[in-house]
Amino acid sequence: MSATKSKPQEKATPPEKSFFESIQDFLASIKFAIILLACIALGSILGTVIKQGAGVDEYLSLYSKSTYRIIAMLGLNDVYHSPWFLALLFLFAINLTLCTLKRFMPILRGDKKITLPDEGTMAGLSMNFRVSDNLGDAILSAMLKGYRCIYSGEEGKVFQKGALSKYGVLLIHTSIMLILIGGFVGLVAGFKGFMVLQKGETKNTISVGGERPHEKPLGFAIKCKDFQVSFYPNGAPKDYVSTVEVIEGEQTIFEKQIRVNDPLSFKGIQVYQASYGKTPTFLFNIGGEQITLKERETYRKKDLVMMPIRFEENIHNFGPGVMVAYLDQGEPSTVWFLKNMERFNEKNIQGFPVRLEGIKETLYTGLSVSKDPGIWIVWTGFAFILFGLYINFFIYFRRIYVRNISGGYLIAGVAMKNKEAFKGEFEALKGKFDGISS
Amino acid sequence: MAFHHKILGIVTLLYLCLFLIHIIYFAAKKEKIKSVIWFVLYGTLVLHTVGLILRWVESYQLGIGHAPLSNFYESLIFYSWCLSLILVLMKKRLNYPAITVFGTLISLLLMGYASISPSIDRNIQPLVPALQSNWLHIHVFTCFIAYASFVVSFTCGLLYMFTWKGVVPPRETLDDINYRSVIVGFPMLSAGIFTGAVWAHYAWGSYWSWDPKETWSLITWIIYALFLHARLVRGWKGKKIAILSVVGFASVIFTYFGVNFILSGLHSYAT
Repeated sequence: MSATKSKPQEKATPPEKSFFESIQDFLASIKFAIILLACIALGSILGTVIKQGAGVDEYLSLYSKSTYRIIAMLGLNDVYHSPWFLALLFLFAINLTLCTLKRFMPILRGDKKITLPDEGTMAGLSMNFRVSDNLGDAILSAMLKGYRCIYSGEEGKVFQKGALSKYGVLLIHTSIMLILIGGFVGLVAGFKGFMVLQKGETKNTISVGGERPHEKPLGFAIKCKDFQVSFYPNGAPKDYVSTVEVIEGEQTIFEKQIRVNDPLSFKGIQVYQASYGKTPTFLFNIGGEQITLKERETYRKKDLVMMPIRFEENIHNFGPGVMVAYLDQGEPSTVWFLKNMERFNEKNIQGFPVRLEGIKETLYTGLSVSKDPGIWIVWTGFAFILFGLYINFFIYFRRIYVRNISGGYLIAGVAMKNKEAFKGEFEALKGKFDGISS
Repeated sequence: MAFHHKILGIVTLLYLCLFLIHIIYFAAKKEKIKSVIWFVLYGTLVLHTVGLILRWVESYQLGIGHAPLSNFYESLIFYSWCLSLILVLMKKRLNYPAITVFGTLISLLLMGYASISPSIDRNIQPLVPALQSNWLHIHVFTCFIAYASFVVSFTCGLLYMFTWKGVVPPRETLDDINYRSVIVGFPMLSAGIFTGAVWAHYAWGSYWSWDPKETWSLITWIIYALFLHARLVRGWKGKKIAILSVVGFASVIFTYFGVNFILSGLHSYAT
């Protein structure tokens, strides 16, 4: 990375490397990085082609039994969490760390001494000119505005600019490590779950899916005070708003309206508006008695056993209806009740006149709840990577050597990247010097 | 038909004109025609900008005001706008009609597809809740500027395979422009992925869900990362780099179109 890299250092290569050393070299090689990245890319493609995280039945409807067995065995139904994919990411993290260390150890140790090349070397550089006038330090510095003098000796000076760009790659690679670490922290110390709340309902647990679905206590409770959905005139959804209270112990801490794009945040836990739905309740008149039943709620009265099992908003354009299961002389049977049809909203079951008098739909809100302590590590990684890309590609490192020669200076310039632009800059510099000394 | 549709219709015709002027240049090879190309391209970009702003203004008049970045139609016309913007910004280097002809042809195809295809809804639609965020602007802008830069890279890669004296620029120049467009596109793609991730965190509750669009943008990112490493670390030049830029653009196309049509996922606003 130094501008004085004119002669590559001859490395005394040992005639034979031990097995361990060659493994180490391979792990830190760019070849290994390319293999890993290619594998990660291929694995990711598989994950977008094969349906992820579906049930067994769905796979069997798409693939043959033997294909499904291969898919399940290789974890292709959940590529991004399969052991081999995580192993690839882990190996990539190791490779990236070793590659970066190998490349940056010299710079980090700072063991490159800055020296002024000798006259012959400088005259041999593609960009150099002579000034036949002793201008003095003040004018020299003024001419090289924006440059920093990093070496000053009797024989001359070394100026440089854009030294930050040397650290671009280091910053980018470290940031990728940060993002991977952040992701890992989230995987280990975070969780993700779901909570369904009806208006007025309070819950302090969330349902966590995955291989062993369970209820997880949150440490605080959420009460849904209100839920509203609004639509645009064309029927597209406009806004979902859950008005919730956060309750800790017996105390209401605060109230917030959760919207899509505006989650609630409390004690490192985020609560998002994820979905909503309707649950119907059915008002029956059974032998003169008013009964309210939810879906799958059993009602018993003497010989009568019945349960609403399926709700349809519109049955063959006859309006809303519900399928009710009941026991007919001990035999299970079903019947449809249609709310708006005179003849179909009443039936005699086991001697009781049963009439459907109303269907009320209540909205519920689906909240996604997650905790990710790694998030700020990831955000930091993102910010640094962008800064690193900027300094790596848009700032370029260049040095200007000024050697005192009898009656003037020998000036030479070197740029690591963007040589074309530097050439223009150097020509302009030469012009300025010519203007002064003539 | 809303007023902005008329403006964008004229813009489409101008892209067609630009393409024809390029053809005339290749036949006549008069230097003067080059300046005509740039003059018309500037004019087209200005009118295209006016068209986009009018669509934005009209959305406010409909009471559903939002930037024209929300559905497939809007993404197509925005992509072609970004492409012209990149051509104009890189004018100093792209003073080769062999390169700009591809830019204008792709703009023409995008605009034409957007205005002709029967499956595309060209009306201004209201924003669904998931898109109601300020991250929308920066996310879409960075992604499409990246996509547009990769068009330039792809063009250079493709032209590298051919020689036509006086029309196709020298190979070193193509190689250089290819690299320069990737160092614009790659940071922009990175920014696009990151802004998308931050937005996803606030909207969907997870900054990375391996949604097909996310996954394919990562694959594209990996390909261009390989491009940069091959060039900067291994010193690849010429044909190998040209092939990589063509492969990279194939991945861009799949990320943009393929994912929408073939794979389903969270990014389904765009179909």
